[in-house]
Amino acid sequence: MQDNEQTKDHMTRADLLTGGVILVLGIAVVWLSWNMPRLGTRGIHPATAPGLVPGLLGIALTFCGGILMTRSVRVFGDSAGWIGFMRLFTTPEAGRVAATLGLALIYALVLVGWLPFWAATAIFVFAFIVMFERGFVVSPHPMWRSLLTAAIQAIIVAIVVTLVFERGFLVRLP
Amino acid sequence: MFDGLTLLGEGLAHFLTPTSLFNVAWATLVGIIIGVLPGLTATMGVALLVTLTYPMQPDQAILCLMCIYVGAIYGGSRTAILLAIPGTPASAATTLDGYPLALAGKGGLAMGLATTSSALGTMVGIFCLVLLAPLLAEAAINFGSYEFFWLALFGVVISGRMTAFDDPIKGYLAGLLGLLVAMIGMEGLHAYRRFTFGVPALGGGIDLIPAMVGAFGLAEILIVMKKRVAARIVDASDRVVPKFSELWKYRRTTLRSGIIGTIVGIIPGVGEDIGAWGAYAAARRNSPEREQFGKGSLEGLIAAETGNSAAIPGAMIPTLTLALPGSAAAAVLIAAMFIHGIRPGPMLMVENAPFLYQVVAMLVFASIAITIFGLLLTRPLLRVMTVPRERLMPVVYVLCVIGSFAITQRLFDVYVMVAFGVIGFFLREMRYPMAPLVMGIILGTLLDVNLRRGLALSDGDISPFFTRPVSAAICTLIILSILFSIPVVKRRVTSLFTKTGRAAASKD
Repeated sequence: MQDNEQTKDHMTRADLLTGGVILVLGIAVVWLSWNMPRLGTRGIHPATAPGLVPGLLGIALTFCGGILMTRSVRVFGDSAGWIGFMRLFTTPEAGRVAATLGLALIYALVLVGWLPFWAATAIFVFAFIVMFERGFVVSPHPMWRSLLTAAIQAIIVAIVVTLVFERGFLVRLP
Repeated sequence: MFDGLTLLGEGLAHFLTPTSLFNVAWATLVGIIIGVLPGLTATMGVALLVTLTYPMQPDQAILCLMCIYVGAIYGGSRTAILLAIPGTPASAATTLDGYPLALAGKGGLAMGLATTSSALGTMVGIFCLVLLAPLLAEAAINFGSYEFFWLALFGVVISGRMTAFDDPIKGYLAGLLGLLVAMIGMEGLHAYRRFTFGVPALGGGIDLIPAMVGAFGLAEILIVMKKRVAARIVDASDRVVPKFSELWKYRRTTLRSGIIGTIVGIIPGVGEDIGAWGAYAAARRNSPEREQFGKGSLEGLIAAETGNSAAIPGAMIPTLTLALPGSAAAAVLIAAMFIHGIRPGPMLMVENAPFLYQVVAMLVFASIAITIFGLLLTRPLLRVMTVPRERLMPVVYVLCVIGSFAITQRLFDVYVMVAFGVIGFFLREMRYPMAPLVMGIILGTLLDVNLRRGLALSDGDISPFFTRPVSAAICTLIILSILFSIPVVKRRVTSLFTKTGRAAASKD
């Protein structure tokens, strides 16, 4: 029951923050749409200006963002609640998300394009398995076994994926 | 009538070749495996495997994707029954009775009934697809810019309303964000580049496939890896093949659930999960054994599985005839159809009528395949469930990178996938549904172009948007849908019709 209340409180705070972001985004979209050329010099009807629909969307976003903020604004001044909310980012769950995201970003933004695809894939798969089998749980297996099986899977995935997509399905890989 | 039957026969015969049957077999099996694995959804599966279909002929490509779609929606029931975790969101209602049945030693029977119900549900939906799609396509030929503008808006609004039932504003916001994404890039009327901020790669807009792979792939991986432990599989060694009497006993539930699932499928952007919940709720209301629901009711299980499977052919009705996706996975199918040169929409029956019946044939073959695999491959599918997520998710992410890169072979699309993955994860954590976002992305151009084209045709006069009969009807539906999502309005209106509602309203 208490957990439920806490989750609700966290959701309200998240809504307040998101509402603020959406409100700002909506205003920015309205401003950018208003400043889009109306193309009047090309004899174009003003009702078909490129900024019309984005402008309407911006107004709708601002309105919805405003509602989201207004209905959550009661939690704004409760600083103790905000401290509890910030603790969400230091839980083990948040750690697992951060680790997954970190590896995913390194693979997609750094390794792919810099190393050959098979090598980037092998490194990523190996690092992912090792991090989650050894870093986040107490594994019943010895370290050498995790490393060995992770390395075998990484090599198999790298070779099979490269061959299947490049040779089998004629897809160019990054 | 007879033309339709002839085309249907030709559609079925078209796929009676060794290549087609081989494609049906592997694609359905891959779909079932995707559905069985928790964290992999039907939409994600279809989006990832679009890549594999590039070198194929258009009919074979869509056949594979359709089989993956049907297989994945069915496959989710396995995990729901044996792990109490829905393999895909469509199987959430199946968990309620499937898992208690497995705990009571009837896991095999539950799996068998889920299989036959899925096949029967698909068949009910197929019947409605054959019946309704040509009629809707014929009616839609007379639609103009005014009607298409409202249809696009209706798709986003109704999807937002139905997929975020507790908090509709989040559904609407997801839809608005999707529409905003669709505004990026060169617009269709005057070739003006909007919101590109000098980035050349944004000129062509955001492609749907990388965005979907991110929102349904990477976001899903992050959600799966966030959780701490995996559940234990319940033993299921009883008989799998159900008796005919068990199926016959619940024939009314099957038919009702099939029709409800199909209707839900027809509603744009409202997919199989809502189909299952709708069918489940109706079955509970009408059942003499309603106290058994949630404790291991065979009827509840049948209703949920029939409902979610019937939503697939249902979703294909607006997808094929209006190019209005009936579900998130159908949105990917539309993108795949365009990639392969097939143009869904009102002109489909004029330009490519056999294709509609080929889709019907694809669904028939897919449902036969899920019945065969579902009843025969019980043990191997149990093995699939035991694959640890630490070993599976990195492979899925590699496929996400390939899937987003392969369409235009630009690393920019990989970055789009990553961005949508991160945004999608945070939105889901804050309970924003993903379907309206997808609907917004795919319907944004339709909405934008038709609003401005309509205004150009009427010389800036907005009255045709409200006075043409179909436009007025869709506009009224949109307004009612939005009004009913405002709690005060909903309470007041309910109070007019019910005693308890009147009492609640008077307390206000």
